[in-house]
Amino acid sequence: MSAAIAARRSDLERAQARAAYLFVAPSLALYAVFVLAPVVVTFILSFSYYDPMAGSRWVGLDNFTRFFTDDRSQQIFWNTLRFTFFAVAGNVTVGLLLALALNRAMPAYLLYLFRLAYFLPVIIAAAFVSIVWGYFYGDDLGVINYYLIRLGFTPVHWLTSSHNAMMSIIIMDVWKNAGFFMVIFIAALQGVPKTLMEAAIMDGASYWRRFFRIVLPWISPVVFFAIVYASIGALQVFESIVILTRGGPGDSTRSMSLYIVEEAFDSFEIGYAASVAVVMTLVILVITSLQLIASRLWVRY
Amino acid sequence: MKSRFMGLLLAAGLALGLGAAKADDTQANLRLMAFGGDAQLTAIKHAIARFNTKYPNVKVDISIDPISNGWGDYVTHVLSQFNANNAYDVYGTAIETFKTFETRGIFIPLDDFIAKNPSYSDFDPSLFKYSSYQGKTYFIPIGWNNIMINYNRKLFKEAGLDYPKDWTWEQFRDVAKKLTKRDAAGNVTQYGYEVPNQNFFVQPWFYTNGTSVLNADWSASNMLDPKVAQTLQFLHDLIHIDKVSPIPGKDAMDNQFLAGQVAMISRGHWILENAKKASLDMDIADVPSKVNDNTVIGFGGYAVSKTSKYPDLAKELVGALTSEETQKEEGELGGGVPGRKSAAETPGFLAFPPSAAMYYQTLPNTLPVASPANFQDVEKIFMRNYVAMMSDEISIPDGVKRADQELNDSFKRLAAQQAK
Repeated sequence: MSAAIAARRSDLERAQARAAYLFVAPSLALYAVFVLAPVVVTFILSFSYYDPMAGSRWVGLDNFTRFFTDDRSQQIFWNTLRFTFFAVAGNVTVGLLLALALNRAMPAYLLYLFRLAYFLPVIIAAAFVSIVWGYFYGDDLGVINYYLIRLGFTPVHWLTSSHNAMMSIIIMDVWKNAGFFMVIFIAALQGVPKTLMEAAIMDGASYWRRFFRIVLPWISPVVFFAIVYASIGALQVFESIVILTRGGPGDSTRSMSLYIVEEAFDSFEIGYAASVAVVMTLVILVITSLQLIASRLWVRY
Repeated sequence: MKSRFMGLLLAAGLALGLGAAKADDTQANLRLMAFGGDAQLTAIKHAIARFNTKYPNVKVDISIDPISNGWGDYVTHVLSQFNANNAYDVYGTAIETFKTFETRGIFIPLDDFIAKNPSYSDFDPSLFKYSSYQGKTYFIPIGWNNIMINYNRKLFKEAGLDYPKDWTWEQFRDVAKKLTKRDAAGNVTQYGYEVPNQNFFVQPWFYTNGTSVLNADWSASNMLDPKVAQTLQFLHDLIHIDKVSPIPGKDAMDNQFLAGQVAMISRGHWILENAKKASLDMDIADVPSKVNDNTVIGFGGYAVSKTSKYPDLAKELVGALTSEETQKEEGELGGGVPGRKSAAETPGFLAFPPSAAMYYQTLPNTLPVASPANFQDVEKIFMRNYVAMMSDEISIPDGVKRADQELNDSFKRLAAQQAK
C-alpha cells in the first residue's frame, strides 16, 4: 500500500524531477563524454591490439600477461609504490610540521608572509619547478653540487645514479607540494577547540602530549584526507619525472603513468598501455580501500 | 630574308610553347605535411611559390610538425590520418620512419618521376639507396645530417694540440684527456668530450668498430657481438677511468659546448646555427676510427600518398620541394646538409666551419641509422640500457644481454603483428 503511494508521484514532484535532470544533464554529459567514455574505451582497449591504421583486434589477456611477466613492469610498479610511500610520508609530515610551526601567535604580516612563501611552490606548474630543480641537481654545473664542492664535500650524482635519482625527485615533490597540505592542516588546527587545549594546559600537559592526545585525534579526519589525496596524486606522478630524468637511469625512476604514455604514444602499443592503465587504476583502488579500512582504527570523527 | 623570317617564326613559336609549358591551368588542392622549424617553413613557402608560377591554380595547404614529441608520435599521427581517410597528398618525414611507412604501403613509388628528372643525379646515390624498399624508391631526399666530431679550436690551441685529422680511438682518447681540466680539488671544470646521450649521436662509435646494435638487415639484435661490448666499454672508460666526460644525462650538452665547457661533441650540421650565434671558433673532424671511419647518417625525404587524388601534381610539388633552389636555401639557412651536391658547394654553405666541405666528402663512408619498422621501440630499449651501462647501474656484460633480450622480444612482437 505504502509502496504504491510512493511510486505514484504528484505532478509537482515530476516537474521538479524533470528540472533536476535538466540541471544535472550538462555536467552528466560532460562526465560521460570526458570521463566515463574514456574509461570504458580504455578498458576495452586493454584486451586488444590497436593498430593506428587497421584499428583494434581482440587479443584476450595477452596484454596483461605481458605486463605481469615482464621484469621491467615489476620494477616500474615498485618504483611507483616507493615514490608514493615516501612522497606521501614527506608531504603529510612536512605539511603538518609547517602548519604546527605557523599555528601560533605571531604578527599577522609574518604569518601571511610565511604561508605565502610555503604555498607559492604549489601554484607554480610542476613543469617549471622541475626545470629549475634540474639545474639544482646537475652533476657538474648544478647549484647544489657547486656548494657541496665549495664546502669540501664530494659532489652527489643526484639524477644520474639510480640510488639517488628517486630520492631527488621525492625531495622536489615534497618541496613543491608540502605547502598545500600545510594550508589544509592550518585550517584544521584552527578548528581544535580552545577550551580543550586550555583545560589540558591547566592540567599541565606538555606540548607534545597535547599534540598526540588532543590535536592529532581531533584533526585525524583531515590527516586521513591528506593521505588519501596525496597517495592518489603520487601514484600518478608524471611531469616531474619526465623533466628531471625521463625515467632513467635505466628504469630506476620510471613510474607507471610515464610507462603508459611511452608505450601508448612512442611505441604505439595502445592496447598494452591501456592494460597498464587498468592495472594502475586497480592499484589506486586497492590502496585507497586499504587506507579506508585502516582509517577505522585511527580516525575519530 | 627568308631565313630571318623563319628564325623569327621559330622564336615566336618557342616563346609560345615555353609559355604554355610554364603556366598550367589545372585546378586542385594539395595538402602538404612537412616537418621542421621556421627555417624549413620559409624554404617550403618559397618552393611552393615557385611551384605556383607553373601551377597558379593549385592551392597548397601546408602543415608543419616540429617533431617535438619524437618520430613515434609523428608516425602515429600519419597512420591515423590514413585510417581516418584524411591523409595529406605529400608527406615530409625522416629515415627513422621510412621502414614503418614502406611496410605499410601508404606511399607510391617515385622511380618513374626520378627517372624523368635527370637533375636528381646531383644527389649522392647512397641517399636514394636508403630511400628504397624492395627495389622501389618511395622518398626523395632533402637535407641530411651525418655525425662528426665538432671541436672547439680555441681549446685545442690552449692545450697546444694540433687539429685532429684521420685519428684513431686511442688518439682521440689522449686528446680528450689533454682537453679535460680540473681544479685544485680534482673537480672537472672543462670536459674533453661528451659521451653522447642520444641514439643517433652514439652510433658512429659502433660503426667505426665494424659493428652495430642491430644486424645488417635490421631484423634482430646484434648486442651480443663482442665488438658492441668493446665499444660500450671504451665509452664507459672515457667516463669512469679517464673521466673526460660526464655520465650521459637527460639533457644534451650543446650549451656547454657552445660555452667552451666541453671541448668536443658528436653532432651533425644543425649545431652550426647556434655555434654561429655564439661566435664559437669551431671546426669539424671525421669520427675516430677503430677498424674504419664510418659514421652515421640520418636524413629527411618527401613521399606521395597512395590516396592522393592528384599523384602527378603531388610529384611535381615534391619536385619543387627538392629543387636546387630550395635545397640551396635550406642548406644556407642551416639545419642539415643539402641532398644535392651542388647545393652543398655554394660559398654560403662552405663559409663555416672551415672544414664544411668534409660533410659531403664523408658521405661515402656513412651508414644509415638503423631504422627498422619498430624503430621507436628499438631506440628506447637501446638508450635505456645504454644509459644504465654508462652510469654503472648495470655491468656491460649484463646490460648487453638484457638489451639483446628486450630487442629480440620487440622484433618478435613486430613479426607477430605483421603476420596478422
